[in-house]
Amino acid sequence: MHFSDLLSTASKSLQRNIAKSTLTMLGIVIGVGSVVLMSSVGASMEKVILSQISSLGSRSMVIFPGSEQEGGASQVFAGHDSLTFDDIERLEQLTTIESVAPIVFMSGPVKRGREESSAQILGAHPNFFSNQNMEAAEGRLLDIYDNDRAARFAVLGPDVKEELFGESDPLGKEITVGDSSFTVVGVAQALGSQFFQNADDRVYVPLSVARQATGQKYANYITMLATASFDVAFADVQGLLRDRHKIENPEDDPEKDDFIVHSSEQANAILSSVSLGLTMFITTVAAISLLVGGIGIMNIMLVTVTERTREIGLRKAIGARPRDILLQFLAESVALTLLGGIIGLVFGLVFAYLIAIIAQSFLSTYVFAVSVPSMVASVVMAALTGIVFGISPARKASLLDPVESLRYE
Amino acid sequence: MASLLSLKGLHKSYFNEEIETAVLHGIDLDIEKGEFIAIMGPSGSGKSTLMHILGFLDRPTTGTYHFLGEDTAGKNDDELAAIRATKVSFVFQAFHLLPRATVLENVLLPLLYHPGIAPADRENYAQKAIASVGLSDRATFFSSQLSGGQKQRVAIARALVTEPELIFADEPTGNLDSASGLQVMEVLEKLNQAGHTIILVTHERTTAEFADRIVHIKDGLIESDTRTHERRRAGADVKLK
Repeated sequence: MHFSDLLSTASKSLQRNIAKSTLTMLGIVIGVGSVVLMSSVGASMEKVILSQISSLGSRSMVIFPGSEQEGGASQVFAGHDSLTFDDIERLEQLTTIESVAPIVFMSGPVKRGREESSAQILGAHPNFFSNQNMEAAEGRLLDIYDNDRAARFAVLGPDVKEELFGESDPLGKEITVGDSSFTVVGVAQALGSQFFQNADDRVYVPLSVARQATGQKYANYITMLATASFDVAFADVQGLLRDRHKIENPEDDPEKDDFIVHSSEQANAILSSVSLGLTMFITTVAAISLLVGGIGIMNIMLVTVTERTREIGLRKAIGARPRDILLQFLAESVALTLLGGIIGLVFGLVFAYLIAIIAQSFLSTYVFAVSVPSMVASVVMAALTGIVFGISPARKASLLDPVESLRYE
Repeated sequence: MASLLSLKGLHKSYFNEEIETAVLHGIDLDIEKGEFIAIMGPSGSGKSTLMHILGFLDRPTTGTYHFLGEDTAGKNDDELAAIRATKVSFVFQAFHLLPRATVLENVLLPLLYHPGIAPADRENYAQKAIASVGLSDRATFFSSQLSGGQKQRVAIARALVTEPELIFADEPTGNLDSASGLQVMEVLEKLNQAGHTIILVTHERTTAEFADRIVHIKDGLIESDTRTHERRRAGADVKLK
């Protein structure tokens, strides 16, 4: 029997039982479809997260006070005062660090007349804006002169501007932050979310003003830009701070440190471990659904072999070898699973695309993305399912006795 | 005429949980090319078993079976399948057509397993076979749309398409009314006249009378073996009128 005969025989048999074939395929369609859908959503989320990380730039680092807890998950103890301004002065002297921008949080409501915003108030060193590659959408950002003379100027995040001013022009207008009055000098460009916090719901004031207002001798966090390689800068920063804080930590145990250095490279590493977890999750779902789909295929193929006993007898009588019958039924089950896999692939992509359209209205950085390896793997696995679960019914068919089969009622 | 097949001391027993049931008790039979032979006998006589062995669907327990001068003992399943694909073919009482396939598809079926006919030539062979049973105008019909007699003629076309040495017809008129049965027998008769060897298995005397030779089987043995050429001719003429 030629290979092309095998294919046409299988496709004709499936067409003759179109309703049954469709129902049989359904398990595989749903299995492969859900895998393609999930892997696509996973790939999209990965892109969303990557875009947040890369918006910080690859040389950018952030130091938080506190200590990292076991299991890799980082935990920051709020209010921890380990990063003093004396530390910061020393950090600025490191040759591997280009710029240092400490941040001090201020509290209190942000108001304009009766409008009130619950924005986060950041006393930011001007380097903060360059470290973050930020630009002004309107007016200007804060500069070193504002800081030196502790000017009561404020830059609004776009969400705060919207909240307090709506469509009207905020530049030169007064707002109240805590008890003091500030003049709005600019609106920052939209950043979206960074590390899953809305970076647009912020008010920036000069660091010097925030220090005066809070009397804080430590920074809430520090952003830095390495001159070149993150690794060398990271070692320098770590060594300096351990030295100053008298921490003996030759084994690099993050639990012993009283500071946490984050970088976009580390975030990348975390992301890849998350996506590994996601991949394993999807693989598990795929394995289970293909197993269920495969059992369905086997069940139907066994019924089909019984139903078509006379056809098998006839084929044997007209010269089909056991191998021909085996291959025919195997081809049918593989065709079912392969076709089911392809249909599932199409459905999965369509649904993933629809989800992307819907998600974009909530999360503007969401993009439709696909995972080609998952798509290929799920269709190939579906075809293999057809072989694995089709072999036993096909073998049963091939071993039928022709005389008995022809008499089968 | 040249010898087509030869049986010597053929026995067949079935074993069911170590209980032996003997069906054929030593059959000697020679059939030559071009014969039209009817094997007759009541049900349980072993005539179907004999046909299955002759048609390579089953194997004898003991005894020899020479086909085209060659001993068939020791041939494996694939070799027997190859003989069924190229040298012998069957017409069954129950037609055994694929119901949701067209006449043409049904007739093409044996060519899937025939190594000697190129795929490009298949349709020619099939159309020729369909024409020889007079169903060219029905080639695209589904077999479920045909009458019983037409179905059996499709089955005959399917048996012819590989141009076999030997055609078995197992109660070919058993599921047909007498008019359709007659038509089918006429087709078989024409094929025989065109040179095909036909072995007819039947328990109906009127059907058997189309053959040149009638072999009676009873209790697994040949009871009689008579050439009936003149009588068949006479009988057939009567029926044709």
